[in-house]
Amino acid sequence: MRTPTKPEILQTLTGIFREVLDEPSLVLREDTTAADVESWDSLNHIDLIVAVERQFGVRFTTREVTSLKNVGELADLTQAKLNA
Amino acid sequence: MLTFTSLGFLLALGAGLLLYRFCPVRARSGFLLLASYAYYCAWSAKAAAALAAATAFTFFAGRWAGDSLRPHRARIAGFGAAGVLASYLIFCKIAAVVSLPRIGRLALPLGVSYYSFKLISYLLDVYWAKIKPERRFVPFATYAAFFPQILAGPIQRPGDFLAQMPPRRTAAAEGLTRLVWGLVKKLAIADQLSPTVNYVYGHMQGLHGPALLAGFYLFPLQLYADFSGLTDIAIGAALLFGIASPENFRRPFIASTITDFWRRWHISLTSWLGDYLFTPLRMATRAMGNAGLVLSITVNTVAIGLWHGFGWGFLIFGLMHSGYLAAEALSARQRSRFFKRHPHLDGLGTWLGRVYVFHAAAIAFLFFRASNVRDAFWGLTHLLSGLASPLAGLAALSAAIDPRPLAIGLAGCVFLEFAERFRPDEWLARIAESWHPHTRRFAQAAVLAEIAIAALLLLAAATGSEKPFIYGGF
Repeated sequence: MRTPTKPEILQTLTGIFREVLDEPSLVLREDTTAADVESWDSLNHIDLIVAVERQFGVRFTTREVTSLKNVGELADLTQAKLNA
Repeated sequence: MLTFTSLGFLLALGAGLLLYRFCPVRARSGFLLLASYAYYCAWSAKAAAALAAATAFTFFAGRWAGDSLRPHRARIAGFGAAGVLASYLIFCKIAAVVSLPRIGRLALPLGVSYYSFKLISYLLDVYWAKIKPERRFVPFATYAAFFPQILAGPIQRPGDFLAQMPPRRTAAAEGLTRLVWGLVKKLAIADQLSPTVNYVYGHMQGLHGPALLAGFYLFPLQLYADFSGLTDIAIGAALLFGIASPENFRRPFIASTITDFWRRWHISLTSWLGDYLFTPLRMATRAMGNAGLVLSITVNTVAIGLWHGFGWGFLIFGLMHSGYLAAEALSARQRSRFFKRHPHLDGLGTWLGRVYVFHAAAIAFLFFRASNVRDAFWGLTHLLSGLASPLAGLAALSAAIDPRPLAIGLAGCVFLEFAERFRPDEWLARIAESWHPHTRRFAQAAVLAEIAIAALLLLAAATGSEKPFIYGGF
């Protein structure tokens, strides 16, 4: 099966974030960070990561998660894991 | 020791700044390192040696963690060295409260809670590849010992500080405004409320309703004015030497959840724990669902409590906050849906939330401040007793304390609330942005003159009884 493209991953991430953060109209961009979304905080950050892991069947390390700077980097990391 | 409000410190600061102006940029890191160690040695040369040893240890461990090509070696160097520093901090905290065999009880080294957290964050940032290991020892040692931040933070991250070394430009007007603003908060508000708070907490078992309520409501305000004032002085002093520090407070009492309160109170500590304790722990417990969340929250808030000292009161303070945060996290979705369905209740919810936050925080602060847990329980269970004759209770309180400083402190709190909406350190920036160039200079000169007068008045008021900063003791 082919690996999804970055825009496709971003679209899936948007769905996951909308569900976990309960924000049906949320729009994610590559440069979106936790500072841009009011309901996204350190308490539910790992809930988002777990949902992404489940959706794509991948697993992240603490080191990878702590060095993410924005949604674009999460999409890149997910894509890299799918390609591995 | 030279506290930030002592005349000695302010004079030394002025003399240091004068020399700094003539110091070439490339020598500035060395200058700040010498100044920081001079300040620290004034407290204890032995403790300065321990700080230097911890700094050198971290510097070399960091290079090993960052340069090692073998992942397990980097892991041992990064985590192992961070573990050594954490153990040193825990040892210092234990030795400060328990008499150890052959050693006895040790004084807590000045700023150890702050500099050890700075050094640990450096090691983990290098291991997590957020930053490259620092090659220059002098700027690195300055990061650990930087005198404006050593007494009570803010806990700056290494990448943020080291990128500013050596400082090229200083920010005199901005720094001075911030520093004076901090002095106002400390001397005109915190120190004025302190006699009443000290009286109530010093005689807790025996007091009832009105007097206890006074202590209950005043302590959070005193602590906020004291600690945020100290932070303002630290940020201001750092700016005078050209270093921008992170913010530590954002009007915490306007928060309508305890979760939001912790995003606004002692931010540099909570964000540190969020990154280096909570997130790794949450990752490790992510398969456990809500149980993992509650466990991570509890470990995190207990760490916040015990960071202040190893005592039952601080432990209970941490546990209470874990209860608040867990309850809020588990109900977040339902609350958010409720207010989305009933948007007209949003404003009311915010205000009720603020009342809840102040009282929930004040109850936890009761355990934080009380001399022992028995006192705290007495205070909590007798807060509402004796309210049938509140005037008699207040009369007894005002006979025991001098009401004048209390009145000044209370007026100061009202002033503080207004001033924080229009922060004085932003006046200069606003004038520069919006005033006509011709009038701008006059306006700036007027503001600076006002600041100088305020500083002189404060110095005049400060001489006499000097009260230590609450957070200087952690």
